Amino acid sequence: MEALLSLSNDLAGAVERAAPSILAVHARRRLPSTGIHWRPGIVVTADHTVRMTEGITVETADGRSRPAALVGRDPGSDLTVLRVADLDGAPAALGDDAALRVGHMVLALGYGPRASWGVISALGPRWRTWRGGEIDRLVRLDLVLYPGFSGGPLVDAGGRVVGLNTSGLTRESRLALPVTTVARVVDELLRKGHVSRGYLGVGMQPVRLPEPLRVGLGLPGDGGLILVMVEPDGPAARAGLLLGDVLVALDGVPTGDLEDVQARLGGDRVGSTITALVVRAGARVEVAVTVGERPRRGGS
Amino acid sequence: MSATLTAEPDLDALGAAASSLAVELGRVTVEVRGGGRRGAAATVGAGVVWHPDGLILTNAHVAHRDVTVVLADGRSWSARLVARDPQRDLAALVVDASGLPAARIGDSGALRVGELVLAVGNPLGLVRALSAGLVHAVGPRAIHADLRLAPGNSGGPLADARGHVVGLNAMIVGGLAVAVPSREARRFVREQLRG
Repeated sequence: MEALLSLSNDLAGAVERAAPSILAVHARRRLPSTGIHWRPGIVVTADHTVRMTEGITVETADGRSRPAALVGRDPGSDLTVLRVADLDGAPAALGDDAALRVGHMVLALGYGPRASWGVISALGPRWRTWRGGEIDRLVRLDLVLYPGFSGGPLVDAGGRVVGLNTSGLTRESRLALPVTTVARVVDELLRKGHVSRGYLGVGMQPVRLPEPLRVGLGLPGDGGLILVMVEPDGPAARAGLLLGDVLVALDGVPTGDLEDVQARLGGDRVGSTITALVVRAGARVEVAVTVGERPRRGGS
Repeated sequence: MSATLTAEPDLDALGAAASSLAVELGRVTVEVRGGGRRGAAATVGAGVVWHPDGLILTNAHVAHRDVTVVLADGRSWSARLVARDPQRDLAALVVDASGLPAARIGDSGALRVGELVLAVGNPLGLVRALSAGLVHAVGPRAIHADLRLAPGNSGGPLADARGHVVGLNAMIVGGLAVAVPSREARRFVREQLRG
């Protein structure tokens, strides 16, 4: 009986410790989402729950409402950073996501606070979201993310935040973004207002290369990407890439599909030079391209 | 330093504690079957032995005029419906017995979000099945628990980690278990069964 009671007290204690740094974020109609007081005056939430750019408010654990200003958004990793003046209370205590193990007991928390209980069901390596965001580690959860839980903290049994929960990145499973990723994206959003991604200014489509051509030219991989659009004056156009070129490698790494290209275009590559190997008119051509920065939707 | 769960929880001890609570809760949980006089009838829900002298609490939506209650030891009685409040979804049944194993009643007002809770009931034809979860949110009229229930859990106990009954499971809303708090149940018993 004691064992159960002490676990129960630990879990309730974990909720109580995390609760003061959990907020309700009113940035869409009807149901609010959850936000985490990340550092003094800075709140982070799930980007897909932010549907307005003005008139956003947050509600603190003690029930007070405050206006929030949009600092920056990164749909790629599904994170949005808000600034809230006069936000009382201590920011969340952050844990170490590197210490997570499959089977660890965790809690997902929503504003209120409300709690959901489960375990880490799987961990995986670095991955890329369907919107191009780089997530340092795959953290899959066996628990229910109830409506309004997106943007809320995943906490360990000690009440420390080890991730940010979101149902916006995958359809079938429950995921948390590890704190390492959240911290990195928050820093970048605070610094620049957006997350940089490399950009070539091309539209591409996968193609198979005929065996004789592949062997004849000694090409890596068995496919490539044909350029079906080259943005005028974009990074690729300036480097001399042409419509109809088939991209087979970037910096020597085969590019069989768009994923392979994206993987070589992280934000840190902006401004650097990358070597594109293309097949043009049946011959190998190497072109040095200066990676640009992907323009943001809506401009500015 | 705050007390945190730094050590690995002792899973054997946890399992043993949970199973002894399951047995204890099973003893105070009755099956409620429909159609008392027509013999073998389907289980429609569960109930909690509230007082050793035959008082059983369940949900109003489970308690109809003719019901039979079955105890864990197999004894069964035709029950008399003595009070029913559909608003609070509570009902009181009385059986002609004494010395029944009664539940220890806890205080739902002291529940904290994140506390462990256990439910026992008769979901999907299983008898006295256990579900474990935790307190999701607490309100004056309802306890929401992150715990999987099924039809047949209705009227059964929701208990804390001490095994004290803190609510009666009443429905499932959006995957959450919703229970009538024990404070409400106590008030109901006081109001309905005065004297």
